[in-house]
Parts: sequence; C-alpha cells; structure tokens
Amino acid sequence: MTGLPAPHLTPDDIDGWLAGAPGPAVQAHLDECPVCRAFAEEERALVARLAAVPLFTPRADFADRVMAAVQVPDPFAIRSLAAARRRLFATRKSIAIAASIALLLVGSMAASALWTLANQDTLIAAGNWLAAEAGRWAWVGLRGAALNLIEQPWYGEVRGLVDTPARLALLSALASVAYVSGVLALRRLLAIPAQRVAHAAA
Amino acid sequence: MSQRRGELALKTDQEIVVLARAGEEAAYRELIRRYERPLFSLLYRMVRDRELAEDLAQETFIKALNAIESYRPEFKFSSWIFKIANNAAIDHLRRRELDTLSLEGSPHAETPEAMEATALQIGDRQESPLDTVEAKELGGQIEAAIATLRPEYRSCILLRHVEGRAYEEIAQILNLPLGTVKTYIHRARNELRQALGHLRQ
Repeated sequence: MTGLPAPHLTPDDIDGWLAGAPGPAVQAHLDECPVCRAFAEEERALVARLAAVPLFTPRADFADRVMAAVQVPDPFAIRSLAAARRRLFATRKSIAIAASIALLLVGSMAASALWTLANQDTLIAAGNWLAAEAGRWAWVGLRGAALNLIEQPWYGEVRGLVDTPARLALLSALASVAYVSGVLALRRLLAIPAQRVAHAAA
Repeated sequence: MSQRRGELALKTDQEIVVLARAGEEAAYRELIRRYERPLFSLLYRMVRDRELAEDLAQETFIKALNAIESYRPEFKFSSWIFKIANNAAIDHLRRRELDTLSLEGSPHAETPEAMEATALQIGDRQESPLDTVEAKELGGQIEAAIATLRPEYRSCILLRHVEGRAYEEIAQILNLPLGTVKTYIHRARNELRQALGHLRQ
C-alpha cells in the first residue's frame, strides 16, 4: 500500500477504470505506467473490500414496531372516493349532469347575492319587523311567566323569607358560601394527582 | 398472504408506493422489507451503536411512511428514504457532539470531589451482550477504518461503495453538488487506504 494518489491520472480517470469503462488513453497509460497501475489496483482492492462488507439486520419485530406507529389510510374511503370520481367522469352524460348541478349551485348563489345587493331596503325593513316581533313575543312570555309565579300558593311564604334587607343579605351570603364550597369541592375532585419524584440521594 | 407478498416482491418501488397510498398494509410492509437492512446498516455504521441505529431506522420509516402522500414519484423512493435516514444520523451526530461530556468532569463542578464525581468512568463500563455483538460486527479492519472518517465522508463512501448508489443519486440524497460528492468520495478513499495501512502495521 503506497497510499499515494496516481501521479498522472485524475480521480475521474480512476473511477472510469474501476467502472470498467476507461478511455483508450487512460487504459494505454495504465498499461505503461507501473505507479499509476499500482495505485489503480489498490483502489480496486479497496472498493472490493467495501462492497463486500455485510448488511446488518435489525431485530425481528422491527417491521411490527414501525407499523404500530404508521397510519395506513382506510382503503374503503379511498376506494369510494376513487369510484365516485370514476363514475363522475365515466361518460359525457355524467360529466354534463355534474356540470349542470355545479352550474345550478353557482348560479343560484350568484343570483341570491345580486338580489341581496339590489334589495337592501326591503331586507332592512324585514329585519326590523322581525326584531320588533321577537321583542314583543319575548315580553309577553316573560310577563306570563311572572304572573304565573305570583299566583302560586307558596309564593307569599317564600317572599316572606326575604322581606327585610337583613334576611336578604343572610340568604345571599349563604348562597355564596354554598357556591364557593361547591366549586372548591369540584376542583379537588377533578385535580390530577401530583406525581412523586424520587430524588437521588446526595 | 405469502402469495401477495410474492406478487409485491416483483413490483417496482413506485408501484408499491401507489398500493400503499391506496391503503394496502402489505405494501407498507414490503417497503420496510426492502429497505430495513440497507437503512439499518448505513445508520449503524454512521452512529456505531446498534440500539440507537435501530431507533433512528424506526424513526426514518415512520416519518417516510406517514408522509407517503407527499412523496413525489419522479424521484427514486430509495433516494427519498436514504435522505431522511442520513438527515436523522447527521442530526444525531451533531447533537451528540454538542452533548459530549468532558473527560475531566462537568465544567460546572466547583470542587475536586464534584469534578471526580462527574468525570466519565471509562474503565468502569461493563460490557453488555449488545456491546459484544457490536464489537463482533464492527470490529473488523475495514469497519474500524470507516469509523475514522468524518460523517460526511462516511455517508458518501457507504452510499457509493456499500450501497452502490450513483454519484448523482448521492448528490440528491445528501443535498450536495455533484463535484463535492466526488471530492468527498476520493478523499474518503485516500483516508481509508491510509487508515488500513496503519491498521495493518
């Protein structure tokens, strides 16, 4: 092993010779020059050693471990989509039907947008009328519910419980305490348990 | 099942990819079967740690197969998957270089005792059965010589002379100009010849 590069040939010349396709000039030089010939032979031996190194094999369950983390697409969904596409573009008639439906959809959307732009006053008036009606009906409903509540036989007793400001304040305080206690109890119930970490002894 | 495997074995990578995209699990397994050994061997020689090489190979396959929709069939599948594997190996080697501990102990240690406690204990390491396998597999002269190469040279030489890839494909895999790939391979061969000469002496 000289470890010296070929003095008269380029690496590309040597590559060509290694690949079995040297130019005539390169071959002629190699036939005549013992230094370059020796270098080329060394290169050939090295390449042969590299080509002979074995391939290694991973553990037997390698493919299963990979497949466990790979998401294979659902063949049924893909086939259905492909079949629908094929059916759609199968004949001139099916293409014409699909185009007509698409045209109808786009046309109706465009017409709707145009009509809206041309009739803005009508739309505003209709909107105002709808809002007024909704407000009126909401008020009627609320009033009916309140009247219904007042007419209940237990209404007087319940009202008697909160007829002074002190009682009202006490009831509010009790309700607030009950609410806060409930929230705290829920938080405690839903909290993730803290993990204990073992520390190495110093 | 085995009949289907036989049918798939006759198909080209591109045809297998089409079947995988159509949701055929056997096609995914066929791609793994074709490339697990070349990829694992490349990664093993790059990182020289069996378990780590297997993790990187697994990561490569998962990344490639989950993104099979984004694979462009005008390129070779082998180039695509080798590119992902090589990037994984180079990323790992760079990270490892940054994480390398000082043999004299942690730079943050303030007392001689702390320095001693954080120093790498080379002699103490017990050899596991896996280490024995590694020593057997990578212990030869040529493997030792390959290990002396820079990572860029190593991936070039392995792809060229172990995997038999063309210069143009290697340039595509490593995202390097063709001239650079040729230079790396010629330099790597020179270094290998010298390393083998030293090893022999």
